[in-house]
Amino acid sequence: MASKKEFKLIKSSRIFDSKGNLSIERGAVLIEDDEIVQVGPEKDIRIPEGAMATEFNYEGKTILPGLVDCHVHLVGIPDGRAGDETAVESDEVLTLQAAKNARIHLYSGVTTIRDCGAKNKTTFMLKEAVKMGVTPAPRMIICGRPLAIIGGHLSYFGIQATGIDECRANVRQLMKEGSDFIKITATGGSTRTSFPFLPSFNVDELTAIIDETHKFGKHTVAHCASSQGMINVLDAGIDTIVHGYYKEPNGSYLYRPEISERLVKQNVYVNPTLHQGTESYDALIEKAKNLPLTDDEQAKVDTFKAGRDISIENISRMREDGVNLVCGSDSAWNYYKMGEFQKEILTHVEIGMSAPEAIRSATIESARSCGVDHIVGTLELGKQADLLVVDGDPVENITDIFNVVDVFQSGNLVDRNNFI
Amino acid sequence: MAKEQKGSQFKIIFCNNIIDGVSDTSIKNNAILIDGSKISAVGSRNEIKQPMGADVDIYNFSDSTVMPGMVDAHTHHNGFGDGRLGDELVKLSDEILVLNSAKNARKSLYSGVTTIRENGSKNKTMLELRKSIVRGQQLGPRMMLCGRPISIIGGHMGYFGSQVTGEIQSRAMVRQLIKEGADYIKITATGGSTITSDPLRPAFNLDELKAITEEAHKFNKLTAAHCTSTEGIKLSVQAGVDMIIHSVFKEANGNNKFDNKTAELMASKGVYVNPTLHVFRSQIWTMQKSMAGKPENKEDILTLDIAKREFERRVNDVNKLIGFGAKVITGSDSSWGDYQLGNTVYEVECLELAGLSRSQSLKSVTSDSAVSIGVDQSVGTLEKGKEADILVLEKNPYEDINNLWFVQDVFWGGCIVERGSSDSLNLIRQYPPEN
Repeated sequence: MASKKEFKLIKSSRIFDSKGNLSIERGAVLIEDDEIVQVGPEKDIRIPEGAMATEFNYEGKTILPGLVDCHVHLVGIPDGRAGDETAVESDEVLTLQAAKNARIHLYSGVTTIRDCGAKNKTTFMLKEAVKMGVTPAPRMIICGRPLAIIGGHLSYFGIQATGIDECRANVRQLMKEGSDFIKITATGGSTRTSFPFLPSFNVDELTAIIDETHKFGKHTVAHCASSQGMINVLDAGIDTIVHGYYKEPNGSYLYRPEISERLVKQNVYVNPTLHQGTESYDALIEKAKNLPLTDDEQAKVDTFKAGRDISIENISRMREDGVNLVCGSDSAWNYYKMGEFQKEILTHVEIGMSAPEAIRSATIESARSCGVDHIVGTLELGKQADLLVVDGDPVENITDIFNVVDVFQSGNLVDRNNFI
Repeated sequence: MAKEQKGSQFKIIFCNNIIDGVSDTSIKNNAILIDGSKISAVGSRNEIKQPMGADVDIYNFSDSTVMPGMVDAHTHHNGFGDGRLGDELVKLSDEILVLNSAKNARKSLYSGVTTIRENGSKNKTMLELRKSIVRGQQLGPRMMLCGRPISIIGGHMGYFGSQVTGEIQSRAMVRQLIKEGADYIKITATGGSTITSDPLRPAFNLDELKAITEEAHKFNKLTAAHCTSTEGIKLSVQAGVDMIIHSVFKEANGNNKFDNKTAELMASKGVYVNPTLHVFRSQIWTMQKSMAGKPENKEDILTLDIAKREFERRVNDVNKLIGFGAKVITGSDSSWGDYQLGNTVYEVECLELAGLSRSQSLKSVTSDSAVSIGVDQSVGTLEKGKEADILVLEKNPYEDINNLWFVQDVFWGGCIVERGSSDSLNLIRQYPPEN
C-alpha cells in the first residue's frame, strides 16, 4: 500500500546550495517526505499534479544545507575539565550529557555530526535511543571508542591496543558494535599519560588498523598533534587527519610543505580545530580577572598566545598549498560548548577562505570527509531534506550564519523549543 | 513576563488564589516572597514587603491560582507507558533506560510535579540520573529513590537487580541499597506483572519482611510494599511496613474479598495507602481505543466488561479504606503499564472517585504525599522555610480538579522552569478514549 506523500515548499529570498559560490535569488526547495525533490528559482518549482504542499515563506532569509560538524565529542562536559576527568564519570551520566549536547547541536543548525570518541558504549546507546524516538539528535556518524596505545590519548575511553593483531581485533570489535568509522590517536594529546609531540602507534600498527577498516568499507580518522604523526598515518593510508599541527618532537612549530604535498596527493582531509584553543584561552583570561591562575593554567595561556598566530599561518599555508580543509568543532571538549559550531566556521574565513568556501567546508566538504556526501551536504535532488534557515545572507556576511531561524531534519521542521 | 532561569535573589509572586497545602480552601489575594531557593514569606499583598535595597523579580499572576508543586509518591521513570511489560523493559541497556528516565523526569516536572518517589528502576539508572540533576546537568523533580526494589528470586521486579532469600540476605540488601544512596526501601511483598511471579500469592515470608523493615527503620528509612493480594497486605502490615502500594484485596484463588479487620489495622497503625487506581483505568482506556472503529468482538467486550467491573471494585475498596480512616495518598505508578509520566492528575481524579474530598485530594498530591514519603520538612506546602517549588495554574482546582491540567508555570527551587513550546507540552497529556 503506497502511503500518502507529504510535500513541503520552502521559499526564501535566497538559497545557498553549497555546490558553488553563488546563491539562487528568490529560490525554493520542494521536499517530498524526507527528501529534496526540487531546488531552484521559485518560479521554476513545479508541485506534482494533484499534490498539496505545505508552504514556508522565509522573506529576507537564506536557506543552506544543514551544517555537518565532522568533529564532536558528545560526552564532553564543557567546563574546562580534562578528558581524564570526563572519563571517570559513569556511562549513565555521560550518556545523559551526550544526549543533551546532541540536542543543543541540532537546535543550533547542525544536522549531521561525526563523533570522534566517547567512553565505552555511550554513543552507540545514544544512537539506539534516538532510533527509538527517546531523544532528538543530528544524524550521527560514530566511532564508539578511539583506538589508542597503552596510556595514549583518549585511551581512558576503553581501547588500548598493542601490535597488529590487537589493532585488527579492536577494529573488528567496533565494527561488530556498529562503528561507522575508526578513530585513531596517532600522537599523544591532552591525556596526561600521553605525549602530544610524539607518535603513538607504529606504522605497522597504523597500517593494520587502516587496512582492516577499509576492508569493511569504512573510513579512518587520525588525531595528529605533531608532524611525525601525520607522516606515519600518511604512510599507513589515512583518510582524515584532525588537528594537523606542524610541530616537531620538541614542541616547536615548523611548517613542512612536503607533508602538505602528500596530504594533497593522497587526498586526505584535514580538520584544523582552530577555535577550540581560543575557547580555553578566553575562559582562562576570564578567570584571571578574579582568581590567580595556577602555574599550569598560566603555561596554557602563554602557549596559546605564542601558538595561535603560527597555527593560523600554518593552516593558511596548508590551504594555499591545496590541502582540503574540513570544518569540525571538537566541541564539547575543554571549554567549547556545543551549539556553537559556527565559531569554527569563522576561523575558516580567518585563514583565508571566502564565505562560500567556508560554508562548503562545513557542509559538503565535511560531509565528504565523513563519507555521507551522497545523502547530505548540499541542497540537491535526492538528498535528505536537512535544511538550515538563517536570517540575512551569510555569503555576504558570514556572521549571519549564527542567525538561526529554523532547522529541518529529514524534511521535518525541528521544534527548537522542545525540551522534553 | 521574563522567564529567566535564575533571576534575582528575591522574587515576589502575586496571585489571585493560593492553595497552601495546609488550609482546607484556597485563599484570596495572596503573595509569596522567595529568597534564593526557599519561600521566605506567604501572606496578603499588603503583608509582603519588598526587601530594601535588593533587586526583586516580580511575577504578576493576578488571575492565577498558586499551589505547592505536586508530590507523586509512586513513579517508574525507566518505563515507556506504552503497555510493555517490565520483563521486556528490563532488556534495554542502562544507558537507554537512563535517557528515557531523564525524558520522563522532564515531562513530569513540566506537568507540575516537583518531587517524586521512584518505586523501582533497573540497576543504578535513577541514582545516576539524580546525580546529574543535583549537579545541574539535567532538569528534573526532586527524587526519593529506592535504588532497586527488594524481591524474592523470580519475584515481582526481581529483574531490576535485587533478589534476596532469608533474613541475612534481606538485611544485607537493605544496607547495600542505603550505601548506594537509597532514601527508602521498596519491597515486592506479592508477585505482580512479572512473568515468573504470582500476584495472588505472598512473596517474602514474615521473618524476611520484618528483617527488611527493621533494618530500614534502623537507618531511619521508610519502607513501602507492593501488595496485589490480601495475604501480602496482612504480612506487610504485621512486619511494620510504612506504606501499602496497590492494596488489592484478593484471596489466593482470585476471589475479591475486602478485609475489614486488615483495613481497620492499617488505619489504626497509620499505614499509608497508595491505591494506584488510574494505572488500572489506563489499561481500560487502551482496550477501548484499540477496539474503537473495529467490528465488535465478543471476547474483547467480555474482557473490557470484566476490567470495568474490576476497576469499580477497586474504587469501592479504596472508598472503604477511606471510610476506615486509612491515609490515602497520590502515587501515579507511571510510566508503568499504559500510564505515562506527566499525567499524575488522573490519579488525583481517581482518588476523588473513591471518595476523597477536594481538599483531601489536593493534599494527597501535596502535603500528605510529602509526609508519606518523608519529605514534608522541605516540600509539600507553601510555608516559610520550604523549598520554593510552586505550581501556577490558570484556573483554581478547588472549582474543578481537572484545573490541575492548566499549568501556566512551574517554579522549582525558586526558579521558573523553562518548559519549552506549547506544541511540545501538549504531547505530554494522555487522553481518554472518545465517548
